[in-house]
Amino acid sequence: MKVKILRQQFPSSEPYWEIFEYDGPENNSVAGVLDYINYHDDIADITGRKTTRIGWECSCLQGICGSCAMVINGRPALACETFVKDLKGKDIEIRPLQKFPVIKDLITDRSSIQENLMKTNIYIGEYQPSGEEEHLHQYTAAKCLKCGLCLEVCPNYVDGRTFYGAAFANDCYLVSARNHTKAKEIGKVYDAHFGNACSKSLSCMDVCPMNIPTIASVARLNRK
Amino acid sequence: MKDVIVIGSGIAGMSCAVRCAQMGVHVTLVSPFPSERSQSVMAAGGINAVLPEPEEGDSIASHIADTLKGSGYLAGEKAVTGLCEGAGGIIAFLERIGTVFSRDASGRPMRRAFGGQSHKRTYYCGASTGKQIVSALVMEVRRFEAAGLIERKLRCCFHSALIRDGACYGALLFDETSWQLISLCADALVIATGGQNALFGKTTGSTQCDGYAAGRLFMQGAVLKNLEFIQYHPTTLETPQKKMLVSEAARGEGGRLFYLENGRRVYFMEDKFGPGGNLMTRDVVSREICRTGKEVFLDVSFLGRKAIDERLPEVRDLCARYRGIDIAKDPIPVVPSVHFFMGGLAVHLNHETSIRDLFAIGECASMYHGANRLGGNSLLAALYSGFVAAEEIAARPGKESWPDFSGDLKREEAALKLGMSSESSFPVMYIRDMLAETMRDHLGIVRSEESLAKGLEEIDYYLSVAERIRYDSSVLPYFNYSITGILTIARATLQCARARTESRGAHIRSDYPETDPGRQFATLVSFDQGGCRVWLDKEHIYES
Ligand SMILES: Cc1cc2nc3c(=O)[nH]c(=O)nc-3n(C[C@H](O)[C@H](O)[C@H](O)COP(=O)(O)OP(=O)(O)OC[C@H]3O[C@@H](n4cnc5c(N)ncnc54)[C@H](O)[C@@H]3O)c2cc1C
Ligand code: FES
Repeated sequence: MKVKILRQQFPSSEPYWEIFEYDGPENNSVAGVLDYINYHDDIADITGRKTTRIGWECSCLQGICGSCAMVINGRPALACETFVKDLKGKDIEIRPLQKFPVIKDLITDRSSIQENLMKTNIYIGEYQPSGEEEHLHQYTAAKCLKCGLCLEVCPNYVDGRTFYGAAFANDCYLVSARNHTKAKEIGKVYDAHFGNACSKSLSCMDVCPMNIPTIASVARLNRK
Repeated sequence: MKDVIVIGSGIAGMSCAVRCAQMGVHVTLVSPFPSERSQSVMAAGGINAVLPEPEEGDSIASHIADTLKGSGYLAGEKAVTGLCEGAGGIIAFLERIGTVFSRDASGRPMRRAFGGQSHKRTYYCGASTGKQIVSALVMEVRRFEAAGLIERKLRCCFHSALIRDGACYGALLFDETSWQLISLCADALVIATGGQNALFGKTTGSTQCDGYAAGRLFMQGAVLKNLEFIQYHPTTLETPQKKMLVSEAARGEGGRLFYLENGRRVYFMEDKFGPGGNLMTRDVVSREICRTGKEVFLDVSFLGRKAIDERLPEVRDLCARYRGIDIAKDPIPVVPSVHFFMGGLAVHLNHETSIRDLFAIGECASMYHGANRLGGNSLLAALYSGFVAAEEIAARPGKESWPDFSGDLKREEAALKLGMSSESSFPVMYIRDMLAETMRDHLGIVRSEESLAKGLEEIDYYLSVAERIRYDSSVLPYFNYSITGILTIARATLQCARARTESRGAHIRSDYPETDPGRQFATLVSFDQGGCRVWLDKEHIYES
C-alpha cells in the first residue's frame, strides 16, 4: 500500500509530497502507519531515497486528546482512530490541517483556538447557573478536544481572525449556562464571532470525534 | 508580586496555577502542548472522596485506612490523612468551577465501587472524569490569564533547574518556536510533568509523559523515592497501537475475570478471594493474572446491553472500535500493562523536594500511594498536591536576589549545539525503543536479582552510547537532549527494585516472595557521582 504524505520541513519552507510503502498490519490505524514508517534507523521513501522522520503529534493514541488531527484521504480526522481497513481506495493520502499554519509536516499551530477564547473572555467567573441545569448537554459540550477538525471542515472558517467556529460556540454555551450574569456579554461576542456568520452547513458535526451536537448549543444561545 | 514557574499543565499543574493565582502569586505555566492534550484527560473512572451522606458505614477514617492498606503501609499516614480530609473541599471546588459530575435523580453526584475500597466513594463524570475536570480547569485558568496572573508558555519544554547551594531559582526551558534555550528566574519552581511512561515505551497513558524532568532533577541533586513501585493495571486490551485501559469501572459494575480450562470458565479471583475477588487491589489482581499463565478474560456481558450502554459506554466503544468486540455478547481478553508510577520525586508534606523552593506535584511526585495506588486516588492527589504546594509557596517570603546563571545557560547552549551539529546514524529514538524493551523484560510484574542485574547491564550500555551519539536532526531537540535523563531514571528504578529484597504491593520478587516487616519504609535514591545511592527512609524524612 502506498502512503502519500504532504511534507514541509519548516513553517516558512515549501510543502512537497513524499510517497512511502506500507506493508504493516491491516488492522492498524493511520497513527500506527506513521509510527511504522518512522520506526527505522534510516527512513526511505518508495524509491529507496533516504529521507527524514515524519513529524506528527500524538498523546493518548485513543481518540481523546485531539493531538493527531490531520486530513486523511480528503477528510479531516483523528489519525489514531482512523483505520486503514476502513479507508476507501487502495492508497492513503495524508496532509496537515490546511486552516492552521504548518510547523512541520503534519504538525500545525492550532493556538488560535485558545487565543480566540482568551481574547473574548470565555470563562465562567462565578458559578451562577440560572434555574435547572442541563447536565447532559453541558457534559457533551465539555468533551470538546479543541482538535480543530470542525474548523478545518467549516465553509465559513478561514483563519480564525473573525469567525471562530464551532469549538468557540460550544464554550460560549458552557459559560452562559453556568453564569447567567455573563450571558449577555457572551451573547455579544458569540454573535460577532459565530452567530452572525454561521451558514449552518453543520459539517462540523459530521467530523466531530466527540459527536458534539453543536446545533443544540447554537439553539440555546440563539434563544437568549 | 511573587513569581512561580509550573512545568506541566495537566490537572496537577493547573490546580497549582489556579490556587497560586487565587492568592495573588503570578504563574508561568509551561508545557509543550495545551492542557487538552495532557494525560489527565484520559482518566475515566473517577475521583475518591467521602462527602456528606456517604454510603452507609463509610467515613473519612475508612478512606484513610483503605489507602494505607492498599499502599502496603508505605504511604505516610499524615500525608494520606491530609489527602482524604481535603477530598470534600476538592469536589466542592470542582463543582464550583463547572465540572459536570454524573448525578442521580435527586441531583446528587453519583459514586461507584473501585478496587481495594471498603465502600463506594468514587465520584465520576460519565465516562470521562479527567476530561471534564480538565475542561473546567482550563476555563478557570483562562479567567486568571485574563487577569494577568497566569501566563501560559506553550511549545516549551523543561530543560533543567537553576540550582545553587541546594536552592532552586528557576529553570532553563527549550522554546520550540525560537529553537532556543531560555532562562527563567522565579521564587519557586513546581514540577507537574506526570509519570515515567516512556521508560516502557507505550503504556495505557500519554506518550508525552517520559520521566525526563524527574530524571534530570535527580542528576541535579533531587532525591527520588519508591521508583520500584510501578502499577500494572490488570485489565488492558491489546491493540496494534498500544495496550488500552479497560477501566476498573467494568469490575466496579460487576465484571468477572476468568480463564478457560477444558472449555470451562474458572473464575480464579472469586475462587481465591471470595465474591469480592474481582475488585481486589490492582497489584493483587495483576499478580494473580500473571500466575494463571493463561489467557484471561473479563466478562460484563451478563449486565445486559442497557446497563452497559448506561454505565460502561467507553469500555463498549473502545472494545468495538479497536478490536471489533461486542462486550454485550463476548468477554474481553485482558492483559496487565504498565499504568501508573507510585514512585517519583521525593517530597515533604508541603510538596517541596530535597531542594529548597523546588516542588513536585501530581504523578511525578511520590507521596500518597506507597507500594500500590487505589483507583480514583490519583486525580484526587493531583488536585490536592497542587493546592498544598501553592499554599506553601504563597506563605513564604519571596526571594530578594538571584545568583547569576548566565554561565549555566552558555554551557547548556554549547552542549545542545554540539549535539545538534551533525547528522545521526544511530537515532536517539532507537535507544528509547531499546530501553522500553529492557524495562519490559526486566521490570515486569515479577522480578528477580538475576534479571534486574541483566537489565542494569543493558542500561549502562545505552548510557555509554548516549554520551557519544549525535542527535537526530529530524526530531525535536527535546527528544535528543532528554535521553540521558530518561536513561538515568530508568537505571535508578532498576537499582531501587534490586535493593528491595522482599515482595510488597506492586513490587514482586520471585527470589524474595515474602513481605519483610523490617522493610516497611520508603526507598530513597540519590545520584552519586554517576552512580546511585539507595537507602530506606527509616527516619521518615519524607513524611514530615
Ligand atoms: C487511561 C488512564 C485512566 C486513568 N484513570 C484514572 C481514574 O479514573 N482516576 C484516577 O484517580 N486516576 C486515573 N488515572 C491516573 C491519572 O489520570 C493521572 O495520574 C493524573 O491525571 C496525572 O496528572 P498530572 O497532572 O500529574 O500529569 P499529566 O496529566 O500527565 O500532565 C503532565 C503535563 O506535563 C507536561 N510535560 C511532560 N513533560 C514535560 C517537559 N519535559 N516539559 C514541559 N512539560 C512537560 C505534559 O505536556 C502535561 O501537560 C488514569 C490514567 C490513565 C493513563
Ligand atoms: S493521539 Fe490523542 S486523539 Fe489521537
